[in-house]
Amino acid sequence: MSCETIRAQLTAYLDGELEGDRGTPVRGHLRTCEACRQVATDEAALRDGLRALPPVDPPASLWAGVQAQLAAAEVRESQRPAWRRALSRWAPLAPRFGMALGALAAATVLLVWRAHRHDEAVQAPIAERDVVAPPPPAPAPPPPPVVVAPDGDVSAELAAEPARDTADVAQAAAKLLADARGEAAGWPADRKQVFEAHVAELQAAADAAAVGRPRQHAYRALIRYLQRAAIREEVALR
Amino acid sequence: MEMLYHQFKRRVFGMAHRIVGATDAEEVAQEVFVRVFRGLAAFRGDSALSTWIYRLTVNASLSHLARRGRRQEVSDDNMPEVPATPEPERDPGLASRIQACLEQLPAGYRAILVLHDVEGLSHEECAAILECRVGTCKSQLHKARARMRDLLGPVGDRT
Repeated sequence: MSCETIRAQLTAYLDGELEGDRGTPVRGHLRTCEACRQVATDEAALRDGLRALPPVDPPASLWAGVQAQLAAAEVRESQRPAWRRALSRWAPLAPRFGMALGALAAATVLLVWRAHRHDEAVQAPIAERDVVAPPPPAPAPPPPPVVVAPDGDVSAELAAEPARDTADVAQAAAKLLADARGEAAGWPADRKQVFEAHVAELQAAADAAAVGRPRQHAYRALIRYLQRAAIREEVALR
Repeated sequence: MEMLYHQFKRRVFGMAHRIVGATDAEEVAQEVFVRVFRGLAAFRGDSALSTWIYRLTVNASLSHLARRGRRQEVSDDNMPEVPATPEPERDPGLASRIQACLEQLPAGYRAILVLHDVEGLSHEECAAILECRVGTCKSQLHKARARMRDLLGPVGDRT
């Protein structure tokens, strides 16, 4: 082993951290290398010297100084506004509050997201809730009838499900459109024109979309627009 | 409160004395005890009380040195000569020479030497106080002792 390697282990060796065989290479090297032996002697003497440094007694004035500083801090504290005192009392708990708030925010986002997804799946009840004044519902295409085979085979029923869902969404959109038009009757002409143009555009997109998910998606876009329009109106009236 | 003060006063003052020097030790020790007493209610017990107090002491000492702007500390590239003449055999002035050399060490080296060699704390305790790994603590101690040896010159028995 080189002197460099041995000297890197010297501190651990002198502190008794190289137990048993692990200390043997260092011991062996020190027996033969005068220079390393001297370094080891110096380091041991230094370590012993550090350990033998006489203790330093604190001056008697230290305690008085501590008490004076604590008293001064109390006076400063009492002169601070109450809200700052309260803030400093809560400050040590800030990390825990931060974590709790983070968890709460994450839970809220999750709940809102799940509720939003659920709302999209059952648009009709939401549409009824959000509309301000319910005028008589407009006629809507009835959903296709459910056909169940006499032998209990439900594959035909499952195949018809997308069409039924589309019809449900279309029905909800039609109902909401009728309600929104009732609201729009009282709007200025230019605003009503913009509204009707947008509705026509969305309706055309829905009609053009393929039956099933694409058309449901297009009707949902129409529903969202109508809800927004109704909500805007509701807010504007307050 | 006073009991706690009496329990730790020697070590806190001693550490501060070795790290910042005699002149400022009282000021630093005062600061430490004020922080201890004001922070005691918020002490969460994540570490031993002594570890927490020693950590406050080391941090207060190092901050004090930084505030004081002691840039005349030794850097790795600029090592001063040690004026003291080594006395190889019995060295009655060794303690004062060690203290003098200690004051010339970079603050980080001084802290680990004081904690481990002067105060006799274990590597695990030192690592908890300095908030570093045990391995880092050991390598810092090795470097600190090597620097001290260079500053101090030969101190061991030359026979």
